[in-house]
Amino acid sequence: MEGPVSLEESALLDALRRGDEDAFARVVGEHHATLRRVARLYVADAAIADEVVQDTWLGVIRGIWAFEGRSSLKTWIFRILVNRARTRAVRESRSVPFIDTLSTESGSAPSMSPNHSCFTDDSPDPGHWARPTLDSNSSPERSLLTKELGERLRTTIDALPSNLRLVLWLRDVEGWSSEEVCNALAIQETNQRVLLHRARSRVRAALEPYFEGARGSATRR
Amino acid sequence: MKPSAEMTCNELVDLVTTYLEEALPAQERTRFEAHLRGCSSCQTHMSQVRLVVSALGELQPSTGEDLSATQGRMLDLFRTRGLHRPEKRDRDIPLGLGSELAALGDHIAYFWESEREFDAIAGFLGAGVSLGEACVLVGHDAAHERLLQSLERRGLNVSALMQERQLQIASVRSSAHGLLAELDERIKDAVDRGMPVVRLLGNLNWGRGTPGWPSDQELLRLEAQVTSAAERLPSIVVCIYDVTNLPGPMLVKGGLECHPLTFRRDCLRHNEHHVSPERFLEELSAG
Repeated sequence: MEGPVSLEESALLDALRRGDEDAFARVVGEHHATLRRVARLYVADAAIADEVVQDTWLGVIRGIWAFEGRSSLKTWIFRILVNRARTRAVRESRSVPFIDTLSTESGSAPSMSPNHSCFTDDSPDPGHWARPTLDSNSSPERSLLTKELGERLRTTIDALPSNLRLVLWLRDVEGWSSEEVCNALAIQETNQRVLLHRARSRVRAALEPYFEGARGSATRR
Repeated sequence: MKPSAEMTCNELVDLVTTYLEEALPAQERTRFEAHLRGCSSCQTHMSQVRLVVSALGELQPSTGEDLSATQGRMLDLFRTRGLHRPEKRDRDIPLGLGSELAALGDHIAYFWESEREFDAIAGFLGAGVSLGEACVLVGHDAAHERLLQSLERRGLNVSALMQERQLQIASVRSSAHGLLAELDERIKDAVDRGMPVVRLLGNLNWGRGTPGWPSDQELLRLEAQVTSAAERLPSIVVCIYDVTNLPGPMLVKGGLECHPLTFRRDCLRHNEHHVSPERFLEELSAG
């Protein structure tokens, strides 16, 4: 469990309950962009994702008096988002709710080829990228990945089952701790780890052509 | 395989994430590291996984988009929908009874006589479930059973909803104070789990006289206090009143005088007979 809410956060909660608009604007500024990205993991349509995010803020506005800070404000906001997004995704019947796929995920894709013979070739160093992956002349606020690798990563993530996609995105792209992910998605630590492992393994497998000297191995699998 | 035996490549590959999460037990960790030191293939695998993780970390899109318009829209929501405002709330939540709309904080007396009118109450719960809200029932087991059957007939999977705690049955306490605390806890727990609205369905009148049940006095005390308790919680409360079987004083005092809204003949109406909780409780104590 997360620790008790800090003094700073409890002052923020009080301000929100009082109707302090600056405090609310700060919270929106801090989380809105991430909420949109996470909503897109559930519903493909950007306009619907924006509605989900708006519903989330409405949930925050309505629930703030009943929210007792048993978790952090951030965790709570994302719980509302997950709830809203699941309900909406079911309605759009574009995806099954996360919870339904959690235990039925087959795990049919192994971490890699069973005997990982792909390493045994005499490649120079298959533990490195084959080509430079960082864009040396990109501006600081842009992602540093080369366009090609970035696109490949995104396509791979998009093709993941929704539960794997969600955990991978929150952990490795958004940089959340496992505790934050478990709290927001209401899943067990071990479950979270299994999902993360499967997701990372699939992404690693999809990126094999990009590893130094491993170009031939992808076709051998 | 004995725990002390040397780790295989396949085993290591399966444990990579657990290792990176620092969640391997000490002995397993030692085996993992021992294998890794001696196996260049696994070293390669590990560095590929690390590369993937760091590449994913680079994927974070630019946050350069202009949020000011959005922020303005959300601030409008805060201004017009916040529960801190004393003004009347928008009636924009489908009640699930007739085609009426509800506002947060509503406390509604539902008067029923016919079987049809009783079974229609399930619509209140059904609407909540389809909107991803939480529903809490408090009252007599026989009433719950009938309502839940009615929900099943509407095609809802009641046991799954119960399992996910989207549908809950609160415990009956014998005092108004105990009941309020129980309901407050249920609502706060649902909010904490990310539920946007909590629907509360009270059927405590059905069960009067059961041992351990709140007395009529305590039921009235509860009804009088629910209106203000619900005011700042994201809740909609509907209380069921059996016109045929309840004694007149319960119908008038509990049903009419404690509820700012009534539902009768498929209509939601403002209730002019509502008495302020302070006055009601004062008169109740005076007997």
